[in-house]
Amino acid sequence: MKSLGSAILLVPQAASAGDLIDSPVKTNRLRPPGAVPEEIFTGKCIRCGRCVEVCPYKSIVPQDIKAGIHAGTPLIFAEKIPCYLCMKCVQVCPTGTLLKIGMEEVRMGLAVINRHTCVTWREETLCRTCYNVCPFKEKAIHLDRLRPVVDEKYCTGCGMCTHGCPITDKMGSKAINIEPLFASKSVQW
Amino acid sequence: MVNHRKKRNLGKWRLLIQTGAFLVILLAPFLNHYFQIDFIQGWYQSLGIGKLWFVSPLEGLESILVSKIIYLPLLIGMIIPILVALFLGRIFCGWICPINYFCDLSDRFGRLFTRRRFRRDRLVLSRKLLWYALMGEILLTLILGAPIFVFISPPGLIGREIMMAVFFHTFALEGVVILGVLAVNLVTRRFYCRYMCPLGALLAFIGNCRKLRVVQDQTACNECGLCDRTCPLGLNPSLGEGMSAYCWNCGECVDNCAHDAISFKWRR
Repeated sequence: MKSLGSAILLVPQAASAGDLIDSPVKTNRLRPPGAVPEEIFTGKCIRCGRCVEVCPYKSIVPQDIKAGIHAGTPLIFAEKIPCYLCMKCVQVCPTGTLLKIGMEEVRMGLAVINRHTCVTWREETLCRTCYNVCPFKEKAIHLDRLRPVVDEKYCTGCGMCTHGCPITDKMGSKAINIEPLFASKSVQW
Repeated sequence: MVNHRKKRNLGKWRLLIQTGAFLVILLAPFLNHYFQIDFIQGWYQSLGIGKLWFVSPLEGLESILVSKIIYLPLLIGMIIPILVALFLGRIFCGWICPINYFCDLSDRFGRLFTRRRFRRDRLVLSRKLLWYALMGEILLTLILGAPIFVFISPPGLIGREIMMAVFFHTFALEGVVILGVLAVNLVTRRFYCRYMCPLGALLAFIGNCRKLRVVQDQTACNECGLCDRTCPLGLNPSLGEGMSAYCWNCGECVDNCAHDAISFKWRR
């Protein structure tokens, strides 16, 4: 309960207008499975928090008022706790913000390997953690001459590889990161 | 003179229901977090009890207006709250809403220390503000393209803060809104509920032609004015304002009337 005091007394950091309007979705900051495009996500989500409550891994974290108009929307911090694709959240969303889709159809993003920091690609050591933890092994990540390669046809962007990756560079990003490519899709009215 | 007054317990029933409703949103996060029992989920933005889902009408409406997509489960979730509002009026505010529960508790607590039975309203504005709040809120939502009420709705925020405390051992900053709403209640009873709550306004709008109304019996009334002073919304049931759209059917006036002149009536 120490945080109670700090949460109330904490003065919000001076936020620029951009911080309040811009989407919090970026590298390794993902919407839960089945999310509609970011363009309408904030409008459609009613911040009921049921995806947060149902998530058995506590992967989904609601944003607070510092995220501006995105306050209360769910976000997954892939490198902290990734999505384990249990697909419980899509079952409880009452607004259709998370559409009811199957595990293979999830496209939270795409895993991208940084070949400059990945120790296997740098030929320093033989690490294949991302390959081992991938829920779609041999499909989403396969080994090409012992080096991991991502196939965008199958990668769900769940972030388990990012979570497992032992390499963290100076900027705090891993050697394999999830880029939320599909969040910027436009909506067909 | 023999007192013929029937004993009424609406206040106690209301307290019981409010407490029960609050316990639901208080305990649900604990059950979800520590025991993985997700039978009851969410709070008053969307409450899921088993397969039965409720969605708050205003939040659902905003979601549909902004995204311009009709999602059937959302509409189905809104049906029960809308039907309840259609027949019983703003009963959610009076009997369930945790904000009003806290305000009621503070009123009961205050009564322990002062001799006055009813608090005076220090700042009284036009009741029509409620409609402007609803219109302004929907307009702002449409202009910004993001629903405003969904993240500053006080009844929803209480649920979110409880969930944040249980799940992440912290509080979200926007909880300040709750403190603000409870603080203005000290100036005027239910200040926020009276003049500013868009959800209450929508429920009042839906319940304008409600069946359950507070009706005054002119012959039994001796114009003591007790009902007018007891109304937490500052309405005057003695002038028939219990029939107006603003009344939230809490039954305070029914309880307090010494002459049984005020009662709930089901209008056919």
